[in-house]
Amino acid sequence: MGMRAPTPVRTAAGIEAMKILVIEDDRRMGAYVRKGLEEHGHVVDLAPNGRDGLFLAAGETYDVMIVDRMLPGLDGLGVVKTVRGAGVKTPILFLTTMAGIGDRVEGLEAGGDDYLVKPFAFAELLARINALARRPPMTEVLTIIRVADLEMDLIGRKVKRTGQDIALQPREFRLLEYMMRNAGRVLTRTMLLENVWEFHFDPKTNIVETHMSRLRAKIDKGFETELLETVRGSGYILRVPA
Amino acid sequence: MFQRRLLRTASFRLALLYALLFGISVLLLGAVTFWSTRAALEDQLRRRIEAEMSFLQEEFRSDGIDHLVATVQERTRTPSNLDYFVLDPAGKRLAGDLPMVSGSVGWVRTKSGRDADGKERTESERIEALVSELQGGYRLGVGEDLEQVREIEDTFLTAFASALSVVLLLGIGGGLLLSAGFLRRVETITRTADAIIAGDISRRIERNGSGDDFDRLSATLNAMLDRISGLMENLRQVSTDIAHDLRTPLSRLRQGLEEARWRELTAADYRGVVEHAMEEADAILDTFSALLRIAQIEAGVRCSAFRSVDLSEVMQTVADAYAPTAEESGRTLRIDIAGGVTINGDRDLLVQLFSNLVENALHHTPQGTIVVAQLSEISTTVIAEIADNGSGIPAEERSNVLRRFYRLERSRSTPGSGLGLSMASAIAALHHGTLEIIDNAPGLRAVVRFPSSSRVS
Repeated sequence: MGMRAPTPVRTAAGIEAMKILVIEDDRRMGAYVRKGLEEHGHVVDLAPNGRDGLFLAAGETYDVMIVDRMLPGLDGLGVVKTVRGAGVKTPILFLTTMAGIGDRVEGLEAGGDDYLVKPFAFAELLARINALARRPPMTEVLTIIRVADLEMDLIGRKVKRTGQDIALQPREFRLLEYMMRNAGRVLTRTMLLENVWEFHFDPKTNIVETHMSRLRAKIDKGFETELLETVRGSGYILRVPA
Repeated sequence: MFQRRLLRTASFRLALLYALLFGISVLLLGAVTFWSTRAALEDQLRRRIEAEMSFLQEEFRSDGIDHLVATVQERTRTPSNLDYFVLDPAGKRLAGDLPMVSGSVGWVRTKSGRDADGKERTESERIEALVSELQGGYRLGVGEDLEQVREIEDTFLTAFASALSVVLLLGIGGGLLLSAGFLRRVETITRTADAIIAGDISRRIERNGSGDDFDRLSATLNAMLDRISGLMENLRQVSTDIAHDLRTPLSRLRQGLEEARWRELTAADYRGVVEHAMEEADAILDTFSALLRIAQIEAGVRCSAFRSVDLSEVMQTVADAYAPTAEESGRTLRIDIAGGVTINGDRDLLVQLFSNLVENALHHTPQGTIVVAQLSEISTTVIAEIADNGSGIPAEERSNVLRRFYRLERSRSTPGSGLGLSMASAIAALHHGTLEIIDNAPGLRAVVRFPSSSRVS
């Protein structure tokens, strides 16, 4: 139970306003999402059904699209398939109802980039669209990632901070790699569970917290600046010093 | 009522149809037999007449007309013989009592004629006769009335008609008898079904123990009814449990909000109240989510998405994820996992299965407990175990822990929905496996067995 919405989140410095298309038929849900996103400085177009959404998606350029799975008429899957068929590469986040266990795979196969189960904490939605909108281009193959004085050698599986070797367990290494690749972005507990452990359910144990405190002890303890920070009510962030 | 329904039964209609078809075929067979027998009899008669004719012609040729007349007269006296006539060229009867037929020569069939004594023949109307012209204008006729043939025909027809009626009677009677038997059995089933529709779900179809079709059908229907009432009972239980289990957090939620309305609260207090309310709401949503998931898993919707899953890797991942938490809570998580064990399944769900078992072992044991995750392969069965040496569960409670919402008294205070093990059990079942909770003396051992059919071939 990490996230409580809607806590205003101060995300990484220098967040740019994004243009976001929300396709959601539930009026209250749509208004809630629009209001929340606008409060965070984004520009939002809201489409109440798949047809209108498709029309907007074809005519305008968006940074991110948020698509409800269940829409009257043309459903979310159909919309995304059509959009992808037309060659639109805009990152897409699916909203699904809870416990639809096949939905995630179906959504990703249809061309979605991420999915979020309703009801969700707003901080979760925000963190996910931030992560989606600025995904590094897929073509780039990194061998070394650097964040501040932290350096990760992906081939040698080694981590150094200010030249000092840091020994990590394999899972800690994966956790840090994911955080470094998304440095400067808030990562929620659920995002970490999905991406680092591939857990697509909500464990009743503080797995993430325990691993995070161990990782923090290894990379931050004894160093002047703390890189790993907890964002209260949202998740974690690996700070990129200005 | 019974009688009228009897006539409408499918079996009776079938029997009737069968009897009819049988009757028609008997009729056809009879007709063929009748005609061919008659033809054979007539043929025989003609040959006899022909033989007599040639004998008499021979007599005439060798010994003359007088001798012929004498022979015919003598033959006429014997009643069992054929009938004759001998006519002189003027047409006058010289001998014999065969009714005279018209002047034609050859085979003649006449319907009626006159006897030699001029009396109208009444007893036989049909006569078959052969007439030939002899030298000198004499005529010789040899014939026989068809009485005998007709008598045989009559006997045949009488016998045939009684046989046919016996056939039809037997067919219809048998059909009725058969249908009555069927109808009684069907009535038993119908009565039971009606009673069940009326609300008595405990009713079962009476069986006669014969092991015939109806008996087997009854057994199957009874088994189906047992299954349905089991499911209904289960559903009723679950609905009651859901209602009961959700009422507690919902009332807590309401209480908190109500209290906040009464009191003078600071902004910070309100925040606390809201956060608390959200925690409760999240817990309720979690419960719903878990219930829906279990329902979906039990419906078996994901089987089509099954692919080869490295179970060793799954258990390793789960153990890795929980080991630090276990350690921090003063427990130890050890592993003894055989490598390269794969089964056909859904990775996400299998991860959840073992996570639930590990969490169960970590949450419900005292500090200092050692939890062991073990994976082995014995011949074709894959056995995965999560065992602890904690305080265990009393034997009489062990079978209950897989039930939805079931929580031991002492666990009521710890967080959790009471659905973790039910979900684990549902996931195991989806993979054609079983989850068993057995005594580890001391502690508890959750054993998941995947049969060879789950194995990747």
